[in-house]
Amino acid sequence: MMQAIFNHPLGRTILIFSGIFLSILLLGVLLAPLLVPIILSFALYALLEPISEILERQGFTRNTASLSVLLILLTLAALLIYAILPQLSGQLTALQTQLPQVWQSITSMSDNFSQNLLESFKLHNANEGITQQIFAQANDWGKTALIQGSNLIISFSALVIIVPIFTFFLVRDYRSFRNYMLDKLPNSSFEMGWLIYHRVAHQLQEYIRGIMIQSGIICVITSFGFYLIGLDSPFLLGIIAGILNLIPYIGPLLAMILPVLLALGKVPIELWLIGAAIGVILIAQIIDNLIVIPSVIANSVNLHPLIVIVGIIVFGNLFGFIGMVIAIPMISTANIIYTGLYNGIKTRHEIQHRVMTTQQTENE
Amino acid sequence: MNTEHPLWQNLFRPRADRISEVTEMWMNTPLFEKIPRKECRELVKIMHPRHYSTNEKIFTSGEIGASVVLIRSGSVEIKANDKLLAELKAGDFFGEVALIMDEPRTADAIAIESSDIIFFLRSDLDEWVKRSPKSGAQFMLNIATVIAARLRHTNILLSLQNS
Repeated sequence: MMQAIFNHPLGRTILIFSGIFLSILLLGVLLAPLLVPIILSFALYALLEPISEILERQGFTRNTASLSVLLILLTLAALLIYAILPQLSGQLTALQTQLPQVWQSITSMSDNFSQNLLESFKLHNANEGITQQIFAQANDWGKTALIQGSNLIISFSALVIIVPIFTFFLVRDYRSFRNYMLDKLPNSSFEMGWLIYHRVAHQLQEYIRGIMIQSGIICVITSFGFYLIGLDSPFLLGIIAGILNLIPYIGPLLAMILPVLLALGKVPIELWLIGAAIGVILIAQIIDNLIVIPSVIANSVNLHPLIVIVGIIVFGNLFGFIGMVIAIPMISTANIIYTGLYNGIKTRHEIQHRVMTTQQTENE
Repeated sequence: MNTEHPLWQNLFRPRADRISEVTEMWMNTPLFEKIPRKECRELVKIMHPRHYSTNEKIFTSGEIGASVVLIRSGSVEIKANDKLLAELKAGDFFGEVALIMDEPRTADAIAIESSDIIFFLRSDLDEWVKRSPKSGAQFMLNIATVIAARLRHTNILLSLQNS
């Protein structure tokens, strides 16, 4: 039975694919505490590897080129710690203190609205208090989210130290390690293995570079937009919008929530500000869809939108925010590995079948 | 500390003697004509050496090819439909069409004795062409010349067979 499954191209592909999938899953579980720094380091490696290559072409050795890349990273990390992080932390604290006022404003607005509604329809206020309860709950959630956000900044500081070290070793040794591992493939699967690896690596590298540039552009546009319309903490909101943009389809919608809430919290309420906050996100999305995506990440992944949305929900449910970010590259990688394996195994099966048929005909 | 001890050496660094020998072999092929030796040597460092036993298939007709192959030692038979097309020795190369086309191999390659084979992958070529466009263009011209020469040879054989 097992032999029959293994002899069939589809059965063999599914078995090998499951083996690879389970190995990656096991590795993921073992490296769970280091998953975020590893993912960030690989993302930085994808961005910095071309710089290292340029330096090597200029006559630098691999070690010197990797060290130079590490220096660039450390400079950026130092800039982050001393210049940007305290400001962001300040903006986050300001946001935290501002939140009760925002909720109060939204609650009173909601109360006025429901009062007007009840008076218009001449109904008894049977649901009195429910709005307050809902907003009290939302207030708690919001506060918790912001406290977690502050803790995130502390964890981020730790990442700033770990990630450059990981990235340095990736830039210096990743290729050698990859060659060492792939050269362990048997002779019969050697070319197929390299073909699949290069397709996966090329697509992932394109995707990571594309999406990081895209998020950076969204961050700049929205920060500038929020600053222009006079919204509080524009740079923090811009960075959040840029990070949320890493999640396709759902991210831009999530990015609207905080700016709109802040606009709602203004006393007296300024309706134009709400419209302007939504407008900034929409303009950023239009620029993203019309200019950035076609020129930066077009065709880097070719997945059906439904698969993307279901994937984001499933990965998000399993691994949280980081799961939502890695959903697309993971599904895309699995797709390339499966297709490459299936095509290779099917071709080999057809060749074997052809040889056997020819031998049988000759014997007859 | 004794840095000559194997423990302190880079485990993945290719051995220098192999690199010089393979560089020399490639430089003697028409594929690397007019390509600077230094660039060839850098490429050899990222090429993939493999060992094949007697009668072991290197590739099979119908499989997607991804590399050009150089025989470092041993000998290889090239067959199509069980008909012997060529017997190649150390220093010969084959499968160069795979460097420019994502198409199935058109013949079988079988090691007829214990052989050391060097693979130069298309993906490595693509990266090199991006890095060194001038040498890359020369290499492409060399491939075109080799393929044209093989085509011309096949045409002559066919016309001889027909006549």
